[in-house]
Amino acid sequence: MTPPPSPPTPSARRTLWGIGPQQWRDFWAGTKDIAPLMPGSAAFGLAFGALIRSAGIEGWVGNFAALSVVAGASQIAIVEQVRVGAPAVIAIITALVINARFALYSAALAPVYSAFPWRWRLGLAHLMTDQAAAVSVLRADDWPSPVRRRWFILGVSLPFVAVWVMGTAAGVALGPVIPDTWQIGFIVPLMFIAVMVPSLRTWPALTAALVAVAVVLIAKDLPYGLNVLTGALTGIAIGSFVPDSEEPGIIPEAAEEES
Amino acid sequence: MRVFMIFLIAAIGTYLIRISGIVLLGGKRDLPPRVRRSLNLIAPAAMAAIIANSLLLDGAAWREFGAWHIAAAVAVGVALWKRSMGWTLLAGVVVFAGLLLAGL
Repeated sequence: MTPPPSPPTPSARRTLWGIGPQQWRDFWAGTKDIAPLMPGSAAFGLAFGALIRSAGIEGWVGNFAALSVVAGASQIAIVEQVRVGAPAVIAIITALVINARFALYSAALAPVYSAFPWRWRLGLAHLMTDQAAAVSVLRADDWPSPVRRRWFILGVSLPFVAVWVMGTAAGVALGPVIPDTWQIGFIVPLMFIAVMVPSLRTWPALTAALVAVAVVLIAKDLPYGLNVLTGALTGIAIGSFVPDSEEPGIIPEAAEEES
Repeated sequence: MRVFMIFLIAAIGTYLIRISGIVLLGGKRDLPPRVRRSLNLIAPAAMAAIIANSLLLDGAAWREFGAWHIAAAVAVGVALWKRSMGWTLLAGVVVFAGLLLAGL
C-alpha cells in the first residue's frame, strides 16, 4: 500500500529540512539586510546576561527571559527593579510600558503580514524587534509575493533573535568571572544612550525624554523604582502635546542606527 | 522562582502587545493619530527614564560624580555626532574603562 518513492528531481535534491532553495535564498536576503545590526544585538545580549548574574539572578532565568520576552530594554528594566527590591507587579508594569512601543510596530506590520497564514503571523510576531520591524516595514514593498515575503521577513527576524539569545547565553556564562571592579552596571545607561540618543529627532521625542529625566530625579524618593514608571508616563503625556514640525516616521530610525 | 514568574508574565504581556495590531487591525484600519503619536514617544521617554535612574541615581541617593558621568557624557556626544549605536557603545566602553584604569 505504500506509494512508490517519487523519483528524485533536481529541486528535491537541493531542499534542506524540506525547505526549497528559493525559500532559502529569500531567507538569506533578509539576513543580509539586517546583518549590520547584529553585533549590537549580540553585545546587548552579552550585557544582559552578565547583568543577570551580577544582580544575583540564576543563569537559566536569564536565558529563559532572552527566549521568551525577546526585548532587551524591558528585561534590563526588570533586573534593575529586582535589584532595588521593587514589588513584582511594578517590575512587570514597567517592562510592559517600555514594550508598549511594539503595539506601534504591530500596527505597522499588520498590512505587511495580512496575506500570511495565521501561524506565520503569530510566529513572526514573537520575533518582532525594533530593528527587524524597521527593516521589514522598509523593505516589504520589494517583496510583493506573500510566500517570498514571509521567508524574507523570517530571514530578517529569526537570525537577529538567535544572535541575541546566543549573546545572552555567553553573558550568563561569563558573568560570574567578571570582577566587581569593572562596574558592569554602567552598561545599563550606556546601552540606552546608544539606542535612544541617535533616534531623538523630533521635538515631541526630545521633550518626552527631558521631562522623563526631570521627573525621575524629582521623584527619586518614591519607593520601589516607581520614579522610573512615573517619569516615563509623564514624559509621554507631556511630549504628546508638543506640536511636531514634520510627520514622524512609522518606525523610529532604528534601521539607521548602525549606518 | 519569583524572578522567573516576573519574566514569564512580562513575556506573555509582551507577546499580547506584539500581536495586538496584527490581530486587531488586520491591515485594514489605521491607528488614530493621537494614539500613534503617544506610541512614538514611549521609547524615548522610557529609555530616558532608565538612563536618568541608573546613571544619576544610586538607589534613592545621588550617584557621586565620577567615571559614570564623564563616560556617559562622551557617549551622548558621540551619539549626537555619529548617530550610530555601534560608535556610541564603543566610545562609552573605551572611555569608561580608561577612567577606571586611571583610578577615577
